[in-house]
Amino acid sequence: MSRATMTRRGFLKSTAAMGAVTALGISAADSLTAVDPAHADEASDVKIIKTSCRACIASCAVLAHVRDGRVVKIEGNPESPMSQGGVCAKGLAGIQALYHPNRNKYPMRRVGERGTNQWERISWEEALTEVATKINEVSDKYGSEAISVSTGGGGNPHFSNVKRFGEAINTPNVWEPGCSQCYLPRMGASLLAYGAGKPNNLSFADSNGWDYYYTDSPVTSLVLWGTDPSNSSVATGGRALAELRNRPEGLRTVVIDPRYTLDAAKAEVWLPIRPGTDAALLLTWTKWILDNEKFDEEFCRTWTNMPYLVNPETRLTLKATEAGLPGTDADYVVWDSEKNAPVVVEFPMNEGLKPALFGTYEVNGMQCSTGGQLLKESCEEWTLEKGAEICWLDPEQIERALEIYTDPNGQSGIMQGVCIDQYAQSQQCALGALNLEFLMGNVEKPGTMLQKFAPAPCKDQLGNTPRLLSKEKVMKRCGTIEHKGILCWDMAHIPSVFKAMKDGDPYQIHMWIERSGNKHVVLGNSSCLDEIVPNLDYVVHCFMYPTAFSVLCADLLLPTTEWLETNLTIPQLNTIVMRQAVTHLFETVEEGIIWTQIVQKCAELGNEHCAKAFDEEACMAPPFYKNEHEKQLQHLNKLEMSWEEACEKGVIEWAKPEEYRTYQTYLADDKENPGKPKGFGTPSKKLEVYCESNIILGRTGAPWSQCAEEKPLILPPASADYEPLCYYVEPAESPLTDTEYPLVLTEGRLPMYHHGTLRNIPYLREIYPVPEMWIHPEDAEKYGIADGQWVNIESRRGKTHGKARVTTAIAKGVVYQERFWAPELLDSDDPAQAYKVMNVNVLTKNDPPYNPEYGTYTLRGFQVKVSPSDDEILKSVWIEPEQFQPWMPAPSEKTEDVFDYGA
Amino acid sequence: MARNCIVVNLDRCTGCFGCEVACKMENGVALGERWSKVFTVGPVGEYPDMTRYALPTMCQQCENAPCVSVCPTGASYRDANGVVLVDKEKCIGCKYCMMACPYGVRSWNVAEKCAEKCTLCGHLTSQDKLPACVKSCAAGARFYGDLDDPNSDVSKELAKYSEGDIHTLQDVGNAPATRYIMTSMIGQWQDRIAPADHPHTAAYPVAE
Repeated sequence: MSRATMTRRGFLKSTAAMGAVTALGISAADSLTAVDPAHADEASDVKIIKTSCRACIASCAVLAHVRDGRVVKIEGNPESPMSQGGVCAKGLAGIQALYHPNRNKYPMRRVGERGTNQWERISWEEALTEVATKINEVSDKYGSEAISVSTGGGGNPHFSNVKRFGEAINTPNVWEPGCSQCYLPRMGASLLAYGAGKPNNLSFADSNGWDYYYTDSPVTSLVLWGTDPSNSSVATGGRALAELRNRPEGLRTVVIDPRYTLDAAKAEVWLPIRPGTDAALLLTWTKWILDNEKFDEEFCRTWTNMPYLVNPETRLTLKATEAGLPGTDADYVVWDSEKNAPVVVEFPMNEGLKPALFGTYEVNGMQCSTGGQLLKESCEEWTLEKGAEICWLDPEQIERALEIYTDPNGQSGIMQGVCIDQYAQSQQCALGALNLEFLMGNVEKPGTMLQKFAPAPCKDQLGNTPRLLSKEKVMKRCGTIEHKGILCWDMAHIPSVFKAMKDGDPYQIHMWIERSGNKHVVLGNSSCLDEIVPNLDYVVHCFMYPTAFSVLCADLLLPTTEWLETNLTIPQLNTIVMRQAVTHLFETVEEGIIWTQIVQKCAELGNEHCAKAFDEEACMAPPFYKNEHEKQLQHLNKLEMSWEEACEKGVIEWAKPEEYRTYQTYLADDKENPGKPKGFGTPSKKLEVYCESNIILGRTGAPWSQCAEEKPLILPPASADYEPLCYYVEPAESPLTDTEYPLVLTEGRLPMYHHGTLRNIPYLREIYPVPEMWIHPEDAEKYGIADGQWVNIESRRGKTHGKARVTTAIAKGVVYQERFWAPELLDSDDPAQAYKVMNVNVLTKNDPPYNPEYGTYTLRGFQVKVSPSDDEILKSVWIEPEQFQPWMPAPSEKTEDVFDYGA
Repeated sequence: MARNCIVVNLDRCTGCFGCEVACKMENGVALGERWSKVFTVGPVGEYPDMTRYALPTMCQQCENAPCVSVCPTGASYRDANGVVLVDKEKCIGCKYCMMACPYGVRSWNVAEKCAEKCTLCGHLTSQDKLPACVKSCAAGARFYGDLDDPNSDVSKELAKYSEGDIHTLQDVGNAPATRYIMTSMIGQWQDRIAPADHPHTAAYPVAE
């Protein structure tokens, strides 16, 4: 690697003039007027506007102080029941993001070769016409599936609408690197096994675990499994844990994380697990709970499918018809140990019957095990000693953790973090953790993690229109016959999309429309883009500022809004927190409006499918909004007030906490079967410990596969059954066998950044200018690495760098580094270094083995080697605070919205 | 005289650096300077008995403030409310106060060529508002008020804890006012054994 030089080649001072060519990257500060930094001795004309942050997904309520149309101060709004007036570094720095001199201000068209970073300003009309014309041309010539659309969780997304957009332009190939790698496995597993999940799952960082925001919650202990709320949801989840720990009765915690995070430092037990082995520990816990009879036997009998007999031929639950018993093929069968005979289940359970939870019994000539028996067999080998050996843990500490989790006098819960969504065992770990909660009866009780509290009247996600796509198009969605779990989000499998882009297999993808902070920073093995993008005819990037993706890949840049320029309704517990645009700069446009404008332009230019997106009948769902006003109405949904009224209130309490906190909803009366409890949202209305729905998903695509013609759309089976129970597979690259790359790498959240965003914010970057690579002192000594030294980190995919932090806060044999990039290198001679120089995602894996259900690839738990580095390129990385001066805010005047409001 | 100061409950603090940014945004503190600075202490000890915590620092409002006594011009002074402040008009930029401060919490203002530091956001507290770092603290870990007033936020928070859970930065006779609450949930309070060479790193050397 060579040292990138900062020539600012081709840099012209103004991007404001139409037709001028400019480079994007270091500082595009132009004719904007500099003003004094915000100060609090405010004049009387300061307006305080209630809105909400979107520097990360927590959406904390804030007060924006606005003077003469300019945002001068951000502080917390104490009315939010989640953040309670707290704001973290990311939110407080929102002004630096809003007025960043490098904002994408206008639509920009590439001039010259890709990667040379030369752009000219064009009008929105030109930009829309160009994109729409390309969409229509590609659709006519190759088929609309040859267009791929992507998004991501960072940088103020209008999340679900990218899917509506894809469906509107008739492509099934919409994707994002969250999904299979973040949140979907935990959500999907919960939908299958618990019958709820959107939300209602074990992800605390995705704003579940609502009971824990109330300090009167009877929770006494929590297991933080691969999650660090102090970093990932600072002012909401981090705050909630701080409140719970500081009650007089306190909160006992167990933290399972290779890092000694600040949450781990407050825990009673820290289990520094080897990355990639969570399933092994889950199985160990399951066995210990079964062997020590710590599970809630009565709950398991009545409310899980553990007593249900399983047909060994179909692997599905045995039905009355198969057992030769009176009943239908919808009736389940259990074993009556007293009568030694099979019995047909009368939901929820036959009066006075104590069905066997365990055992294998002969029924109608078949050896049928109960779900409980199959669970028991699945973890048979996982003694404490075996679990400790595989996970690199101390068996005594594992047992201490288990005693806290299963304390009969307490109420516990598991918060499961994103780590398990980042390697091939995603679904297995998600199902395994749910089963622990089911076994313990930790379901919808006061103080449990899993809850089904009352839904808010508004919508933050508008839902998409999957039935706009024909069967023909759905069948062409890349990678989803094998990995059907992704259909839960109507998305495509990233490595399969890339194969289509790179090799034309099974067909060539020609166009890519992308909206997110920097695909080079968040995708596994992201250097693969080098070989992919040259095969694409046209690439659009929509974002708030230029990234490596803009410079290296894009042909057209569309400027999106910061959160201070955006409107949204956000459910937070028993309230709705409003996000409202407090200003608008240049010609930025909110993402959701860009999508509908492109679709309208395509329709105007003759695309018949696009016209259907505005037709409720064709969508079989609420149609695409045409403008901001219609969008706001869809978000307000059942909230009976105008947008203005809602914004005026800022935080709207739509229910009292006691009305909102609805426990044990499965016991509520079933309207269709009066006198019977409603049960859970699974086919059996029971918690599926033996998750046969996972088998059915793999064989058919149900319950998630759908298209214009059919719902469910029955798909051909995956190459192998999806397994109904958790199992352990050693990571494909393993420290147990790898001699060349001896260390395991893990990633993990920092409190001042979100995904790939905010590395260009001066007050954040000076706190943490380059990524720390945590390494244990024993490993550091072995590989000759000193504290504070630059390090080469290499994997079988590539090489990058990090700055060593030699610390016992990381497990031996493991190194930790978070995703990072160097925006300062965008406008250098080698702009690719912006993403290569210190980005662990040039090391990660996007090749098989994938998770069977979701196609998850490996971002954590793979092998690297480290060595001291003195590479020249490292001298180009900005480290000193003063170097970030060019990025200090350049406040500018408020401008009119680009497109009509619509009312 | 009042003893106004910041009190930090480390049992609550999540180490998010929000206080650093809140302070800089509020007071227009330059890049590279911090009136409010978060250190990470540890880990120290052997697994499973380890200690690690975030330690937010700021002017500790010492009773015997060395910065005030070494100042040759009276620029470093204690105001009528007992708050240690810098009168920038009088500051000649000798930096004695920066050398005298045992905690390195004074900053150098390059543009104005003078020393500066946490003012306890006097421009806000004089209007009955909270200092910016306290108002926005994401974990509700920061408190502001007069240690001598039993009804102040700081006194009420401290009253919840026993003596052994209340700490100060190492006192070399300067009697810092700022209190840190930290219980055995986190572990052992650590004294800093040497000033940091690199004020912008998380280095906080402690005795092992």
